[in-house]
Amino acid sequence: MEQRPNQPIPTTVEDGLRDLRNRTLAKLDGDFARLIYLASTRDYNTGRYAHDGLSFRFTESVAERVLAEAHREVFVSLALSPLKILVTQLEQYIRSGCARPDELVAAWRELEPFRILPPEHDDPITVELFISNIRVALAIVGASWTEERRR
Amino acid sequence: MSGALTLLAIGLLLIASLGFLLRRRGSEEEDSVSWFADENLAISSARFGDRCKEQLDRIFGCEDWDFIRSSTSRRVQELFLRERKGIALSWLSQLRRDARTGMHLHVARVRASEDLEPFAELRLAVDYYTFQAECGLIAAILFLGGPMALRGMVGRAESLSNSLRGILEAALKPEAFSQRTRIR
Repeated sequence: MEQRPNQPIPTTVEDGLRDLRNRTLAKLDGDFARLIYLASTRDYNTGRYAHDGLSFRFTESVAERVLAEAHREVFVSLALSPLKILVTQLEQYIRSGCARPDELVAAWRELEPFRILPPEHDDPITVELFISNIRVALAIVGASWTEERRR
Repeated sequence: MSGALTLLAIGLLLIASLGFLLRRRGSEEEDSVSWFADENLAISSARFGDRCKEQLDRIFGCEDWDFIRSSTSRRVQELFLRERKGIALSWLSQLRRDARTGMHLHVARVRASEDLEPFAELRLAVDYYTFQAECGLIAAILFLGGPMALRGMVGRAESLSNSLRGILEAALKPEAFSQRTRIR
């Protein structure tokens, strides 16, 4: 790793979190997109987080803790936010990153891939609340898409 | 006269229940060592207590329901109420499970204690059974009253959650037994 002479090397989880927020998460459009991104940095076979950029600037174990902490933060904030906000976030995610929103809504309602979004070992009630709110939010967003298409 | 007899019967029932709990855990004394090590992990309300208020506001509060009622179809409203009912019941069963785990831990400690405090134990047992009865009552309201009964139950849920915290604090108080137990 290349070291710049006048800059201290950041090593703590707090430094890593700041780095992740500023360089990566800030560029994503909304908390829902951030949650999907953070969940995707986790290997589903091992449950461990990995991120090349972070591992390059920090140690591997710090990078892993940073990603786990950021994932937990974004998840809890979304899971406990009012349903109205969750619906807005979901709509924003669908509008910004999907060519066929109606297909996405149908697939999500059928397959429920959002079940893999919560971090491991979180409070089961918070996880259940999140999944249940997504189901309701999808019903609302789906209905509004159908109405929009009819017009 | 009949009132005194009823109270006496309740007292005997509680003592018998406590005796039953103490005996039942007898064969599991060895397991209690691992229980002590994992007690914070075993009780989820102790691990995630910091988000309790927000969680209850979401599950039992009116904000989400007001939004749903004012801006969605009847079908979505029904889905929302069904989902919330399911979560409320899950929350109740987790609370009961936590209380049961706390009592199991407490009974395991009490069994290792050299001097038992019958009055404190009796009070704890009364609190525990009152708590379980309250949980049962709220579950019955949810079942019988349907999802609509959920609205405005946040205060009741909060007091139930506080009761659980009180029971767990009393049951798992470290100084109560650490100096008098055989387990070191």
